[in-house]
Amino acid sequence: MTTDMSLAAKSKKPGGPRKAAPWIGVVLVVAVLIAVVFGVRAAASRGGGAVDGGAADSVTIGLKLAPTNLDIRNTAGSSLDQILIGNVYEGLVARDSDNKVVPALAKSWDVSDDGLKYTFHLRDGVTFSNGDALTAEDVVWSLDELVSKQYHDADSLKNLETIGASGDDTVVLTLSKPYSQLLWALTGRAGLVFDKDAKYVAKTQAVGSGPYLVKEFKPNTMITLEANPKYWGAQPKTPTVVVRYYADDNAAVNALKSGEVQVLAPIGAQLAEPFRKDTAKYVVETGEGTDKYVLGMNNAAGHPTADKKVRQAIRYAIDHDQLIAARGGVDKALGGPIPSLDPGYEDLTKLYPHDAEKAQALLKEAGYTKEHPLRLTLTYANTYGSEIGDQLRSQLKEVGIDLKVNVVEFSTWLQDVYTDKDYDLSLVDHNESHDFTQWSNPDYYYGYDNKDVQRLTDEGLHATDDATRDAKLAQAARIVSEDAAADWLLNYRITTAMDKGVTGFPLNMNQTYLPLWNVAYTPAK
Amino acid sequence: MNRPDRRRVPEAPARIAAEHGPRGRLRRAGVVVASMWAHGAGRFALVTLGLWILVSLVSLFWTPRSLWETNGYAVWAKPSADHWLGTDGVGADVFSWLMAGSRTDLVIVALTVLVALAIGLLLVAAMTSRAAALAHGSVVLIDALISIPTVLIALMLAVPLGASVAVIVLACGFGYGLNLARVARPSAMLAARSMYVESARADGASAMRVFATHIVPNVMPTLVVQCSLSAGTAVLAEAGLTYLGVGVPSGVPSWGHSLSTSVRFINIYPLTVLWPGLLVTVVVVALNLFGDALREAADPLTNPRLRGDDGHRRR
Repeated sequence: MTTDMSLAAKSKKPGGPRKAAPWIGVVLVVAVLIAVVFGVRAAASRGGGAVDGGAADSVTIGLKLAPTNLDIRNTAGSSLDQILIGNVYEGLVARDSDNKVVPALAKSWDVSDDGLKYTFHLRDGVTFSNGDALTAEDVVWSLDELVSKQYHDADSLKNLETIGASGDDTVVLTLSKPYSQLLWALTGRAGLVFDKDAKYVAKTQAVGSGPYLVKEFKPNTMITLEANPKYWGAQPKTPTVVVRYYADDNAAVNALKSGEVQVLAPIGAQLAEPFRKDTAKYVVETGEGTDKYVLGMNNAAGHPTADKKVRQAIRYAIDHDQLIAARGGVDKALGGPIPSLDPGYEDLTKLYPHDAEKAQALLKEAGYTKEHPLRLTLTYANTYGSEIGDQLRSQLKEVGIDLKVNVVEFSTWLQDVYTDKDYDLSLVDHNESHDFTQWSNPDYYYGYDNKDVQRLTDEGLHATDDATRDAKLAQAARIVSEDAAADWLLNYRITTAMDKGVTGFPLNMNQTYLPLWNVAYTPAK
Repeated sequence: MNRPDRRRVPEAPARIAAEHGPRGRLRRAGVVVASMWAHGAGRFALVTLGLWILVSLVSLFWTPRSLWETNGYAVWAKPSADHWLGTDGVGADVFSWLMAGSRTDLVIVALTVLVALAIGLLLVAAMTSRAAALAHGSVVLIDALISIPTVLIALMLAVPLGASVAVIVLACGFGYGLNLARVARPSAMLAARSMYVESARADGASAMRVFATHIVPNVMPTLVVQCSLSAGTAVLAEAGLTYLGVGVPSGVPSWGHSLSTSVRFINIYPLTVLWPGLLVTVVVVALNLFGDALREAADPLTNPRLRGDDGHRRR
């Protein structure tokens, strides 16, 4: 009995703290949450003075995708092109900021009238960073190795027949058939010149002829570049460039805020907003790129999207301007497969303007009604975020298309869509330059097979002058767009945020090609 | 003062309930709820959970804005009359998405607790079995399996299942089920070895019957608390797994979805992250308190109103 009574007495007065504890707990949790949110903001905005001002003989750059090693001949990934080409390694030719071919190790070149023979005249007195002279022999060896060992990008040199040297300063390439993109291909990995006699560990070291040499490399974290004292040209403006990699966007933003980096590229247009407003300290710029956000449609028979009317309806249904506005408004509308920095570009955005009524009419013609609506599945990799899918579902719903959005792992996308071609709609950022040829490959995952496009592309690629090439490719691109073989949602443009004192940082295409010799940093007093 | 002593025996509550039939049970439930209401913590839990269920039901028929309404020109809008909690990255209404998300989370929590309870009871049955091999084997098995992180199980389940509610329910249900069994084991063993179980067995009661009428009522108070803790953790797991991309698939409203889509912009639009975060916090606190309050209110040992009520009626 006593037990019962004492228990009863206990439960009657549960005790003050016990009663109050939950409420205090809630309040505490909320307070902590708020404190964390604002604490992070406050801490981030407090920085700025962390950089050692003064000399500006060093600048730190924040990038996103990090290389796992430095072996540019064997390792895929644009992060290696970005940091090594034009900085550590050089090719016979290079790209300017408009993606046009300019001289590099070759001071000039001649092309025979039939387009089959390219003669490159090398610069005098060029040495590698180890002191070895760079001669025609090194160039021939580099190209021979590329072809025989099938190094990365070897297949971009199409129709190549012979590689020869004539003396120490002339290199001659002959082709079996004219190839109008050969020079551009040589600006990339395929054209890089390596030292035949150098012995180094390619994964962690680099010996090139560029303005910088790799002083320190920490995989996935950072690279320190130092001016190459033996460089043939003018010394780079900043002797030391440190590159740090931030996979996480918020970490990157905080690094710029705290002054850990002076440049951040890329930064999301929306994340850049606070920097854009803070004009006293930062400059935010947007550069052109060749990233094409392609809404792939399965053109192969047996899919609803094999019907041209359905594909056209989808293109009319999509409000591209709204997609771009939601992303921060810096991207560009793109009406066809060729972006403005590539040969054959033509503004095709007027072909399929946003027109919901036209879309509905086309769907009706294709045999879809309210009772029997068109049901499609959009499959894309989760790297692109759920936003675009959500918007497309809502936009297509307005014209009566029932869109199921399936956001999957990249590997799943690769298997289901790219390899098995088992999809209706797909979304990919095709970021490569000069990749229009994918539309003349009927085996590509689009399943697009148009003989006219294939013929025109072929004629464009084998043209002996640029004007013919551009005209043919433009013609082919127009057909692809008119056929509504896909929809081009937008042309992604790269946003770069910098400390106000930074000059000479490349803006266009800086995710694949980032020559740093012209970058200078003057810290604010 | 002369009540029979067996009232103090732990299995008593279930027996009383059984004796009184459905009406008695209903009355008991009323008393339990009233007792919970009498305490601040219990009241908070009841109000929050009640609101949660109500909002979930309402969201089936009505949300302030359509979920599928997007507006690229009005993304990340601040709270306004049109959008009570502002808009997200595609211009959809945050309040509507959170409302609709509450029903997804409710379903996930309910299913997770059911799965956990089923697995937990199954394991308790195995551990209290009279077959020594089964009893000992299951203890070893639980100890081994409990060391596998729930997130790892979820990631592995996501390989065949993809991002889906089933991943959360199965992974959490499994993990929490093991936990449940382990926590319930002492009281279950105590009951299994007790005199009344022995006498029931002597009476010829089957193992199943012994488990259902004697062991389960004994572990129930422990299980109730554990279930409500599990429910709270399930809400957190939904948010976490959805953030990792293996939870609720894209396009299905859930609090985790609202969190994960806005967290990238926490530096610029902290409010949008705050709403789902706050909601999850409040609900998880409520669930945790609910278990404690329910155990105290439903156990005649700690709740005199149950005893008084019962004693009065029995006289």
